[in-house]
Amino acid sequence: MLKRIVIGIGGASLLGLGLFSLYAWNSSIDPVTPPLTKDYSPEVIAQGKILASAGYCSTCHTPPGGEEYAGNYEMHTEFGTIYSSNITPDVKTGIGSWSEEAFMRAMRTGVSRDGHHLLPAFPYEHFNKMSDQDINAIYAYIMTSISAVEQEKKDNGIPFPLNIRALQAGWKLLFADTEPFVENTDKSEQWNRGAYLAEGVAHCGACHTPRNALGGEQYEKMYQGAAIDGWIAPSLTDTSTSPIPWRAQDFYEYLTTGNSPYHGSAAGPMAPVMHKGLSALPNSDIEAISVYFAAENGTDQSIDPSTSESLKSAIAAQHEQADLRIDQGARLYATTCQACHYSSETIVKGRPLITLGSSTHLDKPTNLVNIMLDGVRSDQGIHGVVMPGFRDALSDQDIASIAAYLRQAAGEESWPKLLEQVGEIRNQPRFEH
Amino acid sequence: MAKFILNGEAKSADVESDTPLLWVIRDELEMTGTKFGCGIGTCGACTVHVGGRATRSCITPVSSVEGAEITTIEGLAEKDDHPLQISWKKIQVPQCGYCQSGQIMQAAALLKDIPNPSDKDIDAVMGGNLCRCMTYIRIRDAIHEAANTIKEGNDEQNI
Amino acid sequence: MSRISRGKSGGITRRGFLIAMTSVGMSFGFPRHLLAAMNPASPDGKVLPSEGDVYEPSLWYSIDTAGKIKVNIIRSEMGQHVGTAIARILADELEASWDDIEIIHVDSDPRWGFMATGGSWSVSQSWPVYRKAGAAGRIALIESAAKKWGIPAAQCQAIDGKVVSNKGEISYGKLVELGLTRQFTEDELKTLPLKPNQDLKLVGKQVTSLDIANKTNGKSIYGIDAKVDGMVYANPILPPTRYGSKVASVDDTAAQQVKGYQKTIILDDPSDSVEGWLMVIASSFMAAQKASKLVKVTWDAGATTKVSEADIINHGKTLISDQSKGSILDTGNVDTDSAFAKASSNISEQYITDTVLHAQMEPLNALVFNNPDGVWEVHSGCQWQSLTLPVLAKALGEDQENIVLRSYMLGGGFGRRLNGDYTVPAALASKAMGGVPVKMILTRAQDTQFDSARSASVQQLKMAFDNNKSVIGMEHHAAAGWPTQALAPGFMPKGVNDEPYDPFSIAGADHWYQVGAQKVRAISNDLAMAAFRPGWLRSVGPGWTGWAVESFMDEAAHHAGKDPLQFRLDMLIAEGRNAGSTPVAEGGAARQAAVLKKAGELIGWGSEQPENSGLGIASTFGQERDMPTWVACGVQVKVDKANGLVDVEKLVIAIDAGIIVDPNGAEAQCQGAALWGLSMALYEGTELLNGQYKDANFDTYTPLRLAQAPEVKIEFIVNQYPPSGLGEPAVTPVAPAIANAIYNAVGVRLRKLPMKPKHLRAALNQA
Repeated sequence: MLKRIVIGIGGASLLGLGLFSLYAWNSSIDPVTPPLTKDYSPEVIAQGKILASAGYCSTCHTPPGGEEYAGNYEMHTEFGTIYSSNITPDVKTGIGSWSEEAFMRAMRTGVSRDGHHLLPAFPYEHFNKMSDQDINAIYAYIMTSISAVEQEKKDNGIPFPLNIRALQAGWKLLFADTEPFVENTDKSEQWNRGAYLAEGVAHCGACHTPRNALGGEQYEKMYQGAAIDGWIAPSLTDTSTSPIPWRAQDFYEYLTTGNSPYHGSAAGPMAPVMHKGLSALPNSDIEAISVYFAAENGTDQSIDPSTSESLKSAIAAQHEQADLRIDQGARLYATTCQACHYSSETIVKGRPLITLGSSTHLDKPTNLVNIMLDGVRSDQGIHGVVMPGFRDALSDQDIASIAAYLRQAAGEESWPKLLEQVGEIRNQPRFEH
Repeated sequence: MAKFILNGEAKSADVESDTPLLWVIRDELEMTGTKFGCGIGTCGACTVHVGGRATRSCITPVSSVEGAEITTIEGLAEKDDHPLQISWKKIQVPQCGYCQSGQIMQAAALLKDIPNPSDKDIDAVMGGNLCRCMTYIRIRDAIHEAANTIKEGNDEQNI
Repeated sequence: MSRISRGKSGGITRRGFLIAMTSVGMSFGFPRHLLAAMNPASPDGKVLPSEGDVYEPSLWYSIDTAGKIKVNIIRSEMGQHVGTAIARILADELEASWDDIEIIHVDSDPRWGFMATGGSWSVSQSWPVYRKAGAAGRIALIESAAKKWGIPAAQCQAIDGKVVSNKGEISYGKLVELGLTRQFTEDELKTLPLKPNQDLKLVGKQVTSLDIANKTNGKSIYGIDAKVDGMVYANPILPPTRYGSKVASVDDTAAQQVKGYQKTIILDDPSDSVEGWLMVIASSFMAAQKASKLVKVTWDAGATTKVSEADIINHGKTLISDQSKGSILDTGNVDTDSAFAKASSNISEQYITDTVLHAQMEPLNALVFNNPDGVWEVHSGCQWQSLTLPVLAKALGEDQENIVLRSYMLGGGFGRRLNGDYTVPAALASKAMGGVPVKMILTRAQDTQFDSARSASVQQLKMAFDNNKSVIGMEHHAAAGWPTQALAPGFMPKGVNDEPYDPFSIAGADHWYQVGAQKVRAISNDLAMAAFRPGWLRSVGPGWTGWAVESFMDEAAHHAGKDPLQFRLDMLIAEGRNAGSTPVAEGGAARQAAVLKKAGELIGWGSEQPENSGLGIASTFGQERDMPTWVACGVQVKVDKANGLVDVEKLVIAIDAGIIVDPNGAEAQCQGAALWGLSMALYEGTELLNGQYKDANFDTYTPLRLAQAPEVKIEFIVNQYPPSGLGEPAVTPVAPAIANAIYNAVGVRLRKLPMKPKHLRAALNQA
């Protein structure tokens, strides 16, 4: 796959390289002395801190166990391994010499202070939707509140010719959304606030919108779900396969507690999004995001999930379990999962029914198997609660049989080649979140 | 250094991050009421509460409970007088006793979520806790008994 | 951790029982041997100190000046509440207050004599001993009080820890404080006046078992909880075969990367318990376990790497067909040939059972070290100390006198811990390291691989009938791996053909039915013996011989055209050898008939059943003819013909174990045993596959779970016969009762255990 892309774009791009380089060229912006705290009001710095959280700067710019914002967080992409930049105010290796203007240009167009193009793993297309005021607040926060760390960025493992930075300009030309955020006057103020946050700083689409073969977001399929970091970021639109629709209050509960009893927990890459990111936002902003996505989802807000047919059949399915002597999946589920994943007649938070869970209804078993393998840490999902992983406890055969049982109990068609898929998911690179 | 709250006290242990919580509790923190049974989360002898939910500690790496609140059988009730412990003694549930810490911890989580469980509820939630002495009949009775005790206590408070 | 030293202490020996009655003051607060003992009711299992001087009326207990009575229990606690049962026998006869009783599970000091916990023997064997011990103490205390008051002993009475008379009352503690001397002659001992059974106050009454509280708060101390300063952890690497594998090469390069890894020791085992084992030593269990997976070992494997379940069973069939094999038990008239020669009809059927694992919840473990006094301390739960000590002595090259097994709670025994082989690797590793404390814990998979499983078995049963369809002869041939041959050959009696046999692999076949000429032949399956080490498993022989006998009895009844219940009752005649020869067995076959009738009543025998439902009965005795507990089971099953599922909807047990010492504990044992029987009938069972058991853990080995446990009704027959045993017998009739019920429900006979859905489906398809 990778080889095909490399040859394709390599060949096409090299042809036009001469002409193109003119377009791709950006000027360097002069270095400055880092600004001081006294240059900003405390309110601006505080706002910057909230927005930096909501943009998960730390998630991608801090490696596990490493210094905050010092970069070298490892990301595996289809195009090779890349490392994030040092964005501490260190003059030599970080952004200490960046002016407000340079920072603004990077956030809006993905161009570094020295003029080179940043890789689209840095979601500048989304940050471009933010207001100047918000971007400057983030700048103020980073420059005044983050400790400068001297740490050189590791070289990316992107093969030639994809590593030619000038090509990024072409990529931008082809795929990048360069439009600023425009209010939709047909929608409420709350919806617009949610849209501004979700499309901008929170860059939800970076994970939830499918990308084309060259990694560009497919805007016509906005929020329709995509594979990311060995997981599936599910659809947030009416293409969602969740049996119980997401209402605004479900999004809200999910984003504030890490779990929606009718849908599941924030695990994998989504866990830090809510625990380390969105949790910094005021509740009114989370409500706005929830209203925005509920509208994207097209959900009838008046439905009561507790009386839905899906819930009733999931509750009933618990009691119609196949006999444990003849169904291995049912037996393993009953003996290893059901102590928690069982709710009597009503759903109790913390006792999610996997037959309702989003991961069981996706087209691929990726998320379900990931969670079975590696569980949910105390800093993921519901805070302070864990689910142990069965990576070293259960075989592929065991896990496939449980997944197959759940899929069947959930009334879905069986996943094809499940056993092989479990093996592949077990062996895929693991991301630290 | 792993850090968490154990039975209300802040604890830390200098162990490899992949060490299962069970062995940190038993060998580093020397609380041996939580037992090792199968090591793969299929027997329930190692059940503790993490954040109030029953959790198989034998397959829970200590790194995943960072900062969490953990309760073991030793910390379930200050005077060993949780309604389940009382009913367990009254009905004389334990035989060899080895699985019973896990049974009681699992049952405590059950009653918290489903205060008046049916036999079906008990069967479902306790299905992961193996008892080789097969004290199942009394486990079922003792859970009902404790549920009634808790209910009566609540009713009295409401009068 | 207290140190244990060897040497005579106290001057009391087993032979001196009840002779030396002088007060034995101890400067420590308690005798040294109690340092290695365990009190199941104290928070850390430690024996509580005694107040002042103690008076030891016999080896079996002491009374201190506060009146506290420490009862020495040589049986291991593994769920039977055995200490409570035995202590109350003593307390009752002594007229002690139950509140003053403390249980002491003692160490393996030779003073205690033969120490084993199994065979459902504990209460039955302790009954006469502790009653006499209690009576002697009571008499001595009464006489002492009488002397103080200057009145005849006959005017004094012992009640609730005090001696009372018209002069007032004086507590046992006070009497001890004042000093006691009393000696009994041998003749007096023989004729100690015991209380009449009907005057017993504690026996048969409800008391809370003393080990229960600590089993609800995590404070019970099991072998796996044993800890001493300076201890290292060990996890073994097991060879591909149980016997005969030799280590060819070891490479621990990868293991050296594990933090805390110390070394890998190749064991050299003179006791042949753990041939081909290596022990990985580390500073924590996890490190040892992690490292043991990384050490690369090659073996010259033993000869049984290709032996599988079918080979064992086929070999058993071959052995049975060879009439020269095995040992023929003394069942009176063994000349069945002439009976079969004159029979007008006969039937013959074969029954097979698969391998069964112990799967006790606490994985095997042991902590061993050489203490500063040079004594080897072995800290581990153990069911048969007297068998384990000589094995350890051989392994360590030490005198037995210099080894002591410390008592712990057992996280399940079920017979696995009768065979103490698991203490050997820890002992050898400690020895190799100069005696440092080595704590070995097996993972579940290792525990399983090292199990002494219940052997697969093959049984051929034959019955001859006269032209009235009355039974005139019966043969029972049984081939299996013999645990007693593997582990304690000295316990094998000889049959009428002078060949030794394992009583624990045939008991039950020598039943109490009057069948005319009767031949019972036990055969050791030498292929099983070579491939693994067969073990005693809860209910031992009767757990599978009973299955064959009672399935066959139903088949015979159908052949004879008689009601299966009546067919049995007609043959349960308490005459001759079936009248019962020991006090416990008194009443004989008539008592078995009584439980059978009771079970029939309880299950509603003869009542109409819906389609695909059926009733089944079976009756057995556990564990041997000289200590029979008569037991019968009735079940009601529903069969789902489409998928082969059998649901046991009702399960009743009628049981006659003589006097019931501990009613609550007895009921618990019977409930557990009946469910164990159900588990082995429908849920469990593994297979030998290429020299190892197919299942390793509870993801595939599937004992009964809570949801699968039906209500079980237990009914005891009340009488005044001396107590027999209760730990195992209720296991034995369950499987045949289910098989009989399946036949009555859908007309299909299953002759293999376990009876899994696929077996029933196959049988239904053939029918």
